[in-house]
Amino acid sequence: MRVDDRLIHGQVIAVWGRHLHIDRIVIVDDGVAADAFMQEVLRLAAPRDVRLQVVSLAEAIRTLNADAADRERTMILLKSPQAARELYDGGLHFEALNIGGVGGRPGRKPVFKNIALSELEISTLRHLHDQGVRITLLTVPGEKSKPFAELLGR
Amino acid sequence: MTNIVIAGHGDLAEALLRTAELICGPAEGVLTVSLLANEEPASFDARLTAALSRVEGDDTDTLVLVDLLGGTPYNVAARWLLRANVECVTGVNLPMLLEILTARESVPLPQLAALAVRHGRDAIVNLGPMLGKRG
Repeated sequence: MRVDDRLIHGQVIAVWGRHLHIDRIVIVDDGVAADAFMQEVLRLAAPRDVRLQVVSLAEAIRTLNADAADRERTMILLKSPQAARELYDGGLHFEALNIGGVGGRPGRKPVFKNIALSELEISTLRHLHDQGVRITLLTVPGEKSKPFAELLGR
Repeated sequence: MTNIVIAGHGDLAEALLRTAELICGPAEGVLTVSLLANEEPASFDARLTAALSRVEGDDTDTLVLVDLLGGTPYNVAARWLLRANVECVTGVNLPMLLEILTARESVPLPQLAALAVRHGRDAIVNLGPMLGKRG
């Protein structure tokens, strides 16, 4: 489960896919789920041995739980912490969450590497953290990471 | 003549253009857009849009060359394909760029894009087996 506003991009295809031996990528995003052209663009770029699914938040809540017993190694990509919270509160109780890339923009403060979060996003993640979700800020495997809990300590 | 926009990660696009110009002289109508470390897609999109409107002024054809299939420059550039006078080729390399810099005066855009793919691929060989080296 990864939050990355770039969804599939260089780091995801070149590094993560291979590192985690992923069989399936599920993009959960209402915008992309409604955009057939962008889905084609993303599908074309997905590694050949990876199955790509694009679903809306509502569909994800409906279907991903039922898939839980599936043996496929799945990477779930979301654009924002809010989407992660909606999935969790909708009943998809994931144990860990990787914050991989959230771009800087007005209202967001840089917190770690290429990750910037607003107050609202931090409180959203705090909610997940309080439910016991292990949240880690990490761009690519092997690099330095930071547990979300450290942001709260300050 | 078809304009060219090279879009890539880090310094690649800049370096490719500089290197190509070193070999075949200054190139007009070629712009680069580089994805910076930590840049979010929306900002890259704005800069690519600015570059495309700069070279696109008089409805001329534009070929966008991106470095990595699936990368952010690719994701952003793909949208421009919806325009009739824009084509996009991934996996840009030096041989591909040199070929189209010289061919773009005489070859129309759709064929130029196909030529870029063919030439970029043909320039990649595993030299050992080609020269009869035994593995």
